[in-house]
Amino acid sequence: MSDFFLTAEAEPDEAVKLALRRIDEAQAAGQGSDVEGLRLNEVVVNMGPQHPSTHGVLRLVVTLDGELIKDVIPVVGYLHRCKEKLAEKRTYFQYIPILDRTEYVAGMNCEWAYVMTVEKLTGIRPTRRAEFIRVIVGELSRIASHLVAVGTFTADLAPLGTAMAFYTFRDRELILDLLEEVSGGRMMYNYLRFGGVRYDLPSGWVEQCRDVMKRMPKLIDEYASLVDDNAIFLQRTVGKGVISQQDVVDYGITGPNARASGVELDLRRTRPYSVYPELDFEVCTAQHGDVFDRYRVRMDEMRQSVRIIEQCLDMLPRGPVQSGSLRAPYVVTPPPGSCYVGQENPRGEYGTYIVSDGSRYPYRLKYRDPCFCNLQLFPKLLRGNKIADAVSISGSMDLVLGGIDR
Amino acid sequence: MGLEVGTLKVTMDEIAADLARDFAGDLEDVRIQEPDTIVARLAREKLKDVARRLKAHEDLAYETLNFVAAVDLGAQLESVYHVYSWRTNTWIELHVPVPRAKAEVDTVTDVWPAADWHEREAWDMMGIRYLGHPDLRRILLKDDFVGHPLRKDYVDLAENHPHV
Repeated sequence: MSDFFLTAEAEPDEAVKLALRRIDEAQAAGQGSDVEGLRLNEVVVNMGPQHPSTHGVLRLVVTLDGELIKDVIPVVGYLHRCKEKLAEKRTYFQYIPILDRTEYVAGMNCEWAYVMTVEKLTGIRPTRRAEFIRVIVGELSRIASHLVAVGTFTADLAPLGTAMAFYTFRDRELILDLLEEVSGGRMMYNYLRFGGVRYDLPSGWVEQCRDVMKRMPKLIDEYASLVDDNAIFLQRTVGKGVISQQDVVDYGITGPNARASGVELDLRRTRPYSVYPELDFEVCTAQHGDVFDRYRVRMDEMRQSVRIIEQCLDMLPRGPVQSGSLRAPYVVTPPPGSCYVGQENPRGEYGTYIVSDGSRYPYRLKYRDPCFCNLQLFPKLLRGNKIADAVSISGSMDLVLGGIDR
Repeated sequence: MGLEVGTLKVTMDEIAADLARDFAGDLEDVRIQEPDTIVARLAREKLKDVARRLKAHEDLAYETLNFVAAVDLGAQLESVYHVYSWRTNTWIELHVPVPRAKAEVDTVTDVWPAADWHEREAWDMMGIRYLGHPDLRRILLKDDFVGHPLRKDYVDLAENHPHV
């Protein structure tokens, strides 16, 4: 019974023990208090797992000296749903909807990464029309995801309260409506298939999408005008939480977080897939790698996504949306072997490593999740900052716990 | 350090030839997986040394670890390292066999810091012990979980879950 109740004697868990141990070690090494005879003036605070600014069930065990962060130990796993184990008991086809639930803010892109891996293993080629539809829905998903990222991030910073979040979430619905019309789901799409997509675009959809894309740049300008010149916003973002290029190399940071540090790493360009080589768009980068630059790169990327979608709508060819027979291949049996395909998700490189033994079920499936890798940098990034900046820095990293915990 | 992607223009065959020359006797079964990945096998005793040399290689410079995957192949386990070379814009996939009975392999966190959490995950899920890892705790499962669930012979016993 006592397992269910927290008592004063409750044993601290491993992460807290580690934080306490590090304090003791620091004290033994003679670093610490300026007042003689006092213990180190440090306290261990649990931030999360239920904390509004961690955007999910992320828990940070923070060691504080007054307001300064001395040490951070991220604790993840609160949203673990055994997705890698589940893969071993499901056929390749049955597993597609589970992908939506990993990084649930950009489900379309996650499905895409998995479907591409299986297609590479089996040698299935999607049709040309399907490729264009995939790019369109993928980029729509990217805009929707960045809207969430930018909105919740500015809500954390408080100069505007939650105003910005309301605007971005309002306009995100425009995009989710489009995706819903195409796939039947707002966020859980189950839309991509091996060799194509599930449904063709409904009639009138292309015009509807064009309308939304015409409005989008104005809306993005509107968000920018809300915060870009706001003194409080700038004070809290400029020069905070700088990721150096060396960090990008060492920790495998990808996505907008890497590009904000001036690294032109975008898998759509550096490891081109689908029809991206035919499309004209810029890889958005910034120079300083601080919180503000990460925000700005996301804003710029939304504009580029609009450009990509408009081009795709113009170039959209006629034809079937599913290769082979008109039904998706329900049973695929890749030859024995292993393969990894990475794809540019809104948060960075997302991919699945699949080992096949020639049966209908994946023998082993492993995710490479961008947030999981980006979160590793957290202790280094937060050390020495004020606790309030921890909120802005973690908001700017755009973490989705569904992807981290799987 | 300039960080441009793919500054060195080489073909996959040239990379494979370079690896065969500089890592003769270390990397086995080197083959090219189209379009841009080299797959090779490596004995676990040589892992740390080869990892260092791969990172320091003047042309290829495999600097960024993408992920570590642990696979249960039945007779043995396998630790798979996926490493990116910025200069050539290619990847290398190192397969390191790990015996089941003594599932231990050297850590590469001091070569590629990104390996930290991936190795913790592999320990958590597959029970591969990474020797020399600075903080080898469970990461996704709770601290008092019993067993390593992604092993093919894992049996989920009720007595392992006293809280449920």
